[in-house]
Amino acid sequence: MTLADLYSMMPIVITGGGALIVLLCGPLLQARSVSWISVVISGSAGVWAAFTPPALTPSFPGVAFTPLAQFLIPLFCLSAALTLLFSHGYNERRGILGEEYPATILFGLFAMCLLPCATNLLVLFLALESIAFAFYILVTMDLNRVESGEAGLKYLLMGAVAAAFTAFGFALIFAGSGTMALAGALAATGNRVIISAGWGMVIVGIAFKLSLVPAHLWTPDVYQGAPAPVAAFLSTSSKVSAAALLLILLAFSPPLAELRAPLYALSLLSMVLGNLAALLQSNIKRMLAYSSIAHMGYLTLALLTGTREGYAAVLLYGAIYTAMNLAAFGAIASLSLDAERDQIADYSGLGFTAPLRGGVLALAMLALAGIPPTAGFIGKFFIFYSAIRGGEMTLAIIGIVSAAASAYFYLKVVVHLYMHRSNAAPPAPTPAAESLALCCASLFILGLGVFPAPLMRIVDAAMR
Amino acid sequence: MTPDFPILTLLVFLPLLGSLLVFACWRSDTLVRWVALAVSLVELALCAWPLAVSDRVAFPGAPAGFFLFEDATWIERFGIRYTLGMDGISLVMVLLTAFITVIAVLVSWEGIKERVPLFFALLLAMQSGIQGVFLSLDLFLFYLFWEAMLIPMLFLIGIWGHGRRVYSAVKFFLYTFLGSLLMLVAIITLYLMHGSQTGNYTFSLHGMLNTSVPLGIGVWLYAAFLLSFAIKFPLFPLHTWLPDAHTDAPTAGSVILASLLLKTGAYGLIRFAYPLFPEAAHAMTPVLYVAAVFGISYGAWVAFAQEDMKRLVAYSSVSHMGFVALGIAAWSPVALSGALMQMVNHGITTGALFAMVGMLDERTQSREIITYGGIWGKVPVLSFFFLMFCMASAGLPGLNNFIGEFLVLVGTFRVSPAAALGAFLGIVLTLVYTVRLVQEVLFGKENKPLELKDLSLREAGVLAVLGLSAVYLGVHPGPVLELLKAPIELLTTVK
Repeated sequence: MTLADLYSMMPIVITGGGALIVLLCGPLLQARSVSWISVVISGSAGVWAAFTPPALTPSFPGVAFTPLAQFLIPLFCLSAALTLLFSHGYNERRGILGEEYPATILFGLFAMCLLPCATNLLVLFLALESIAFAFYILVTMDLNRVESGEAGLKYLLMGAVAAAFTAFGFALIFAGSGTMALAGALAATGNRVIISAGWGMVIVGIAFKLSLVPAHLWTPDVYQGAPAPVAAFLSTSSKVSAAALLLILLAFSPPLAELRAPLYALSLLSMVLGNLAALLQSNIKRMLAYSSIAHMGYLTLALLTGTREGYAAVLLYGAIYTAMNLAAFGAIASLSLDAERDQIADYSGLGFTAPLRGGVLALAMLALAGIPPTAGFIGKFFIFYSAIRGGEMTLAIIGIVSAAASAYFYLKVVVHLYMHRSNAAPPAPTPAAESLALCCASLFILGLGVFPAPLMRIVDAAMR
Repeated sequence: MTPDFPILTLLVFLPLLGSLLVFACWRSDTLVRWVALAVSLVELALCAWPLAVSDRVAFPGAPAGFFLFEDATWIERFGIRYTLGMDGISLVMVLLTAFITVIAVLVSWEGIKERVPLFFALLLAMQSGIQGVFLSLDLFLFYLFWEAMLIPMLFLIGIWGHGRRVYSAVKFFLYTFLGSLLMLVAIITLYLMHGSQTGNYTFSLHGMLNTSVPLGIGVWLYAAFLLSFAIKFPLFPLHTWLPDAHTDAPTAGSVILASLLLKTGAYGLIRFAYPLFPEAAHAMTPVLYVAAVFGISYGAWVAFAQEDMKRLVAYSSVSHMGFVALGIAAWSPVALSGALMQMVNHGITTGALFAMVGMLDERTQSREIITYGGIWGKVPVLSFFFLMFCMASAGLPGLNNFIGEFLVLVGTFRVSPAAALGAFLGIVLTLVYTVRLVQEVLFGKENKPLELKDLSLREAGVLAVLGLSAVYLGVHPGPVLELLKAPIELLTTVK
């Protein structure tokens, strides 16, 4: 281990150490300063990772700062920083006090930073479960709401089952190959039956994490019950890290023909049922939950092509999806009063009475629907392009038709924002932190929609 | 201005900049109106530049026929380029767009009282999208503009519309969105086929022109393009969004929908679908013939039964656009120039009719034919223009629509006499509903004692400009036909 190794591991050290420091020093400081310190911690970890050259040799046993990590860590850090910016005002209104909230977010971020660095099945599993562990706490953070506790319990039970599947899958792969190192374990040629069985278990576990149909049932309840900023973090970084896990495993494996059928079915069901179920929702967070199920279906579609283009599309879409969902949930959090605005109809007329937040929410909806010139279109284009190129024409057409249908429920929110009137008093002005975060996310959505080339270069670099 | 001044980029993005400027003046509604008018007039004035250079045969490095051309790298990973180009066809459509937008700004001058800055900003943003569609030569760029222009229209109908405005706005959006997405699949497939054949992955229209597409696949790809364009057109039976959207839109929205948005469908067919898939297009010509001829009669027939004037004009659009489709289906130089003339003429006359219905609606809050009757004596100037545009719409010789319909019929008759005959019968039906409209609104008995004011100076100015262009195109279409001649020759010889 050299100094250079330590440098490249600094994001993990910063986030992990930061979580501890916030937890220890939090009681001595004002809640506002704790929030800002946490934002600075996640921001600096992201900046550090973005400007550190990746290394392929492990820095510590089982951990290496790979090109993929260099791409994903800044993304996760951005997502955590924006979540923290959205959370402060929201938590104040709800009496979620104390430093454990930012500390838990930072701890989750620490695990997320660790995950793409893993070169070892064990580290991978620990990182994955640490992320889930942070979210078990975050989902139940709003102690005054019954739904929050209920959602947390549901998430914990489902998550435990998923963890068991993943652990058993990893164990089988280890048993089949005799090594924990990713490169050796997944490429092993002997004992294909045992390794394939392990793969099956892992797919089940990841399907839970990505909430792919039919393992999606927890998603709407958890999104509905969780505080909106937590739902923002959960729906973006936790999903992207699960997708990254699958990507890492697939990248180390030889092409696996037996994986195509299950992934095909998961993708098809998620795209179709996710969008269909979202059509019926009147609760905005449940609608976004089903929408995220559908979006994970699109991601799986690109993954199952097994091509470089498909994997690049997954990474690009992951980044864009993060921005879109952060904007959507961030606006919801910022528009919330003592209670959240649950129903889509509660957003009537807010496009005019709260122009910034209403506008960002509308933009996020148009982006999720994949309408140019937003980044959502670029992401969908890349996904369907890679699917058609990978020979999955039928599934691509099914996906596109279901995406067209999805425009209806995204538009429903836009319609309420701008085309219905409400007599409710205009909401309080947006705090500076939330404006900053919302503008940041919308700039990302619009900027990437018009100039996607730089991000595509970064994605291609991350695939090396 | 130097020869490599990016005039096309300016034409596309000036309205968008204008819409930001409009937002900057949000404090005063009056100022907003004047700024919007100024921006649209500057855009119209800018069209003089391409008009002045349109006799120059080619631009260095541009495909044949294009006298203005801009090309820059955009997303090199996919070979997507920012390519704009202007030939005679684009020029005519760009001129029409600039002209109609000025009209749309003027007809909304007093009718729009709420959220004025947003309205005019959206109107100008819409213009940017439409100009982009008429100038893009890269399929990805084209697709981007094609979809992006839906958003302002969604808001225009949904916020300032009448009746079931939200339903109509969403219906319009979803209809066109679904069609477009399938076109995107076709574009990507063509891109991959071309790339694997030549090793040159590009979305450029002229790069992909010579892709050899097996007819079995080509028919499907062409069908996806046709579906998307036919929805915008709209061709029977994909027209059902149109009466709702036109009727419930604010006046300027109806004017833009009828005069410009419908034209993008026809333009796409001429510019992209036919040249890219000549064999498939040829194979599917009967479909287009049937849809066109049936649409002409059906639109006229249904228009006759309408009680709401706006709905009547909307259905008349279905009928008139049938002629455009017929001209495209025949794909001979005469028929095609007729189709393009008909696009311009329909833009002017139907735009004018929607504007007039809007003016009547502003006066009496009613668009029902039954409300009116015998208004000729009360408002002679308004009635004169109404009669004139109705006659133009019916294809009276000497007024503009006659030229387009005549050329389409002549061109089609040589290729397919049966289709020309069917379309001719449709013209008779056109006369029936137009005469009914004129008779029941202008003449006949007064049904209700209406307090009607005659045209204001602004309204009279708008209609006079439209009327003059209708007469000009009716008696002297030569200059426009001259502009269209060269690109049409190129298009028809490719086949």
